[in-house]
Amino acid sequence: MSNTIVFDNVSKFYGDVLGVNRVNLSIPPGITSLVGPNGSGKTTLMNLMTGLIRPSRGQIRILDMTPDQPEQLFRTVGYCSQFDSFPKGLTGYQFIYSYLLLFGYDPPLANELAWQAIDRVGLREAAHRKCGSYSKGMRQRIRLAQSLAHNPRVLILDEPLNGLDPLVRAETIALFRSFAKQGCHVLLSSHVLHEVDIISDQVILLSGGYVVAEGNIQGVRSEIEDHPMQILIRCDRPSVLASRLFGEDNVVEVRIHDDRRGLLVKTSNPNRFYLLMNRIALDGISIESVAPIDDDVNSVYGYLIGTEEAVR
Amino acid sequence: MAVYKRTYRGYSGAITPSWSRFLVLFRFSRETLFRSKVQTAFFVLCFFFPLLCLLGIYANAHLSVFSFLGRRSEPLLNINGQFFFTYLTVQSTLSFILAAFIGPGLVSPDLANGALTLYLCRPLSRTEYVLGKMSVLVIVLSWITWVPGLLLFAVQASLSGWQWLADNLWIATGIVWGSFIWILILSLLSLALSAWVKWRIAAGGLLLATFWVGAGFAQAINAVLRTKQGYLLDVGNLVAAIWHGLFRDGVNMGFSVTEAWIALLAFCGFCLLLLMRKVKANEVIR
Amino acid sequence: MRPLWWTQILAVIRLEMKKTFFARRGLWIYLLALAPVALFLAHSLVEIHLRGVRHEMATQSRPITEQDLAAIHEGMTREEVIARLGDPPASRITMRRMPTGPHGFELIPGEVLRYSDGSTELTVVLEKGAVVGTGTTSGSSLGQDTHIFAGVFQFFFIRLAIFFGCLGIFMNLFRGEMLDKSLHFYLLTPVRREILLAGKYLAGLLAATVIFTVSTALQLTAMLLQFDTATISHYLYQEHGISQIVAYLGVTVLACIGYGSIFLAAGLLFRNPIFPAVLVLIWEAANPLLPSLLKKFSVIYYLKSLCPVEIPVDPGMPPLLALLVSNAEPVSAYIAVFGLIALSVAVLAASMTRVRQLEINYTAD
Repeated sequence: MSNTIVFDNVSKFYGDVLGVNRVNLSIPPGITSLVGPNGSGKTTLMNLMTGLIRPSRGQIRILDMTPDQPEQLFRTVGYCSQFDSFPKGLTGYQFIYSYLLLFGYDPPLANELAWQAIDRVGLREAAHRKCGSYSKGMRQRIRLAQSLAHNPRVLILDEPLNGLDPLVRAETIALFRSFAKQGCHVLLSSHVLHEVDIISDQVILLSGGYVVAEGNIQGVRSEIEDHPMQILIRCDRPSVLASRLFGEDNVVEVRIHDDRRGLLVKTSNPNRFYLLMNRIALDGISIESVAPIDDDVNSVYGYLIGTEEAVR
Repeated sequence: MAVYKRTYRGYSGAITPSWSRFLVLFRFSRETLFRSKVQTAFFVLCFFFPLLCLLGIYANAHLSVFSFLGRRSEPLLNINGQFFFTYLTVQSTLSFILAAFIGPGLVSPDLANGALTLYLCRPLSRTEYVLGKMSVLVIVLSWITWVPGLLLFAVQASLSGWQWLADNLWIATGIVWGSFIWILILSLLSLALSAWVKWRIAAGGLLLATFWVGAGFAQAINAVLRTKQGYLLDVGNLVAAIWHGLFRDGVNMGFSVTEAWIALLAFCGFCLLLLMRKVKANEVIR
Repeated sequence: MRPLWWTQILAVIRLEMKKTFFARRGLWIYLLALAPVALFLAHSLVEIHLRGVRHEMATQSRPITEQDLAAIHEGMTREEVIARLGDPPASRITMRRMPTGPHGFELIPGEVLRYSDGSTELTVVLEKGAVVGTGTTSGSSLGQDTHIFAGVFQFFFIRLAIFFGCLGIFMNLFRGEMLDKSLHFYLLTPVRREILLAGKYLAGLLAATVIFTVSTALQLTAMLLQFDTATISHYLYQEHGISQIVAYLGVTVLACIGYGSIFLAAGLLFRNPIFPAVLVLIWEAANPLLPSLLKKFSVIYYLKSLCPVEIPVDPGMPPLLALLVSNAEPVSAYIAVFGLIALSVAVLAASMTRVRQLEINYTAD
């Protein structure tokens, strides 16, 4: 049995409006983040995976199951959607317990699973209050609890950190990590890029319904050739080092750092640059550290999507 | 000095005069009114019967055209109060269905999305808001009731001469007043339901139910309690009683026109009360 | 052990119960169901009161019979009437406006003298001191009331109350959840969509059946309330009363089954159910005018044949109403029940194909 989520040439059109187009993906276990501006197709991809909408073209397989088989799929998949709404009149506990009964669990088991999920998101005390009376963060947490109550192997989360306070945010991220460690898929979308950077094993960048890049973020960065990579070099004599670097053809720009204890270098060929740094270090300049500073999601997002947005 | 104070320039251009400001709401709503294809198709369909009547009036005045068919020159139709009563009955039924489509969407989205407070924190009073929303229904329903009705009347007058016009001017009054009463009732009820029922669809359903269930229940009251006063709960019947008076056809509905007027005024007052109560809750105190 | 599909259906019903029975937005359905109960109750209470008044009048003076009243003729004076019938136990002063010209009228004073034989009220109407007429008013009989009940049941209760009640309950099942943006929670569980539809339909049916059969039972109880035990026993055991009551309850259940399936399908097919509701209402009302084949695609066609009491066609009845009342092509009870259930199953089967294709697009609503 395959352990990946596969999108095979998937397109979705809402009448004349493009949702996503020709998406080909193979998502392995771990935490995968969907990143992209509003309307880029993140939610559409998630809804397609869970069968809430159907692809206009192409096929989706989640661990060898199709979204047309809810009776099998949703024993494995949990989806916390972005819809901030609840069935009328239910308390937090009833909300989770009632939907667990739909899985066919016996009432005692459903009860046990419901409390486990409630404890995971720290809502035990508020569990018997109506969902309608919850704060935004509590509503987000109870929906998260509902999506993971049946212990799914694939957890799909649309903006799961929205409305959470910093402490709960950290706990929730830890929860996602524990899921990923167990070999589960955690697929989430977020706008908070530095969090995506911290959480994700891999990212999928979307723009205008197209997948712009996918994979490990450093790998993605290294493949962006039209934007020279920025590297911060910490050393004892930055001006001397700067003069050495000016002569190199792969160095595009050199700036002395504001604190005058390092250099900011832009290079068009990072591999050749690292070899050069080895030679310079041997020449007697004391180099403390060499680190790329724009291989995070924020920069990649800026290079790949920011420019596209600007062109539009 | 704060930055905004140096850059902010208040609007100094022309503003809509306060007496016609409520029509701004009509302009807003007009754009969304005919987005639905079904609604637009139905609106167009509403002009079919007036067109048929127009052909009837024209044919009636040009009977000589049919002489080749061997017809004698007897009038095809009697263009009198009864003719226009029938016209108004058909058009009012269509306007009722159109109001069920349009009316419920007028206030409920403003309440559900919190836009009512935004309206009322502008220089727009509760009354102007209600007038503005009502104007949408009044204008749209007028297009399919009294406006074509008066056109038909004018065509008939132009074909029959001044004497006919002078003798039948009361019919024109009947068309305008009859339509106005019907439109007022539909508008007030639609807006009241739209204000109290969050779902646009449910409000539309309730509008239908108010008329049809009301009529059915009125019949049930009459049958069970052996009375005729049940009809006072049937809004359609109350309006019909007033129309019979306006078109002078002498039909007795089982209760007097005065009773019908009183019942209708009470009904309108109740709708207005419901509407104002809901709108008042969102008013910004200035 | 219960099969999984049945456990899931029960879980869906459990979730829907609260929404269908206790939602604030569903209060109007209770009003609709209880309105005819209030009407029959009011009628019974009024009749009980009037019967008491007639009985009291008979005890206050000499009981007057219809033969006594026959001796009173127009033109007799008040004194002559009293000499014949005795002092009336009750009377009422009247004032009638009689038009005298296009703008004027004359006020005519009058009096109504009321007598009773214990069960019938006999009245003598006087104007300007002279008799202008006599009349009798009896309490309503069970026979009359069962006919009136049949009329109200067929024309108000089935065609309007159950119709709109089912519209509210069954449209709410899918379309309501789409408007509330909560349908996706169901679609994200390991439940086949057909089972979800069946569960929701059964939940709606349970609510509609309970509300409207209770209403039918209460209406019948309220109608019978004014009669004495002997009359009720006679009706129940000698005049097929029990079978009529069972038939009314059965028709109520079948109406919920039929209209429920139609409105569940409409809620899935249409974004705005007003249009289908108007169409179905017109279709049902136009049933007598339809060709024989098309008639069979209507709920009212089967229900009319199952109603236990035929509504008498009054010669003064408007032709359109007479057409609605008449049942030109009645079918046997078995065919009617089977036909209605077959129609409902067909509509539900069509809904199942639609629910399989259902996509969540709340913004479009």
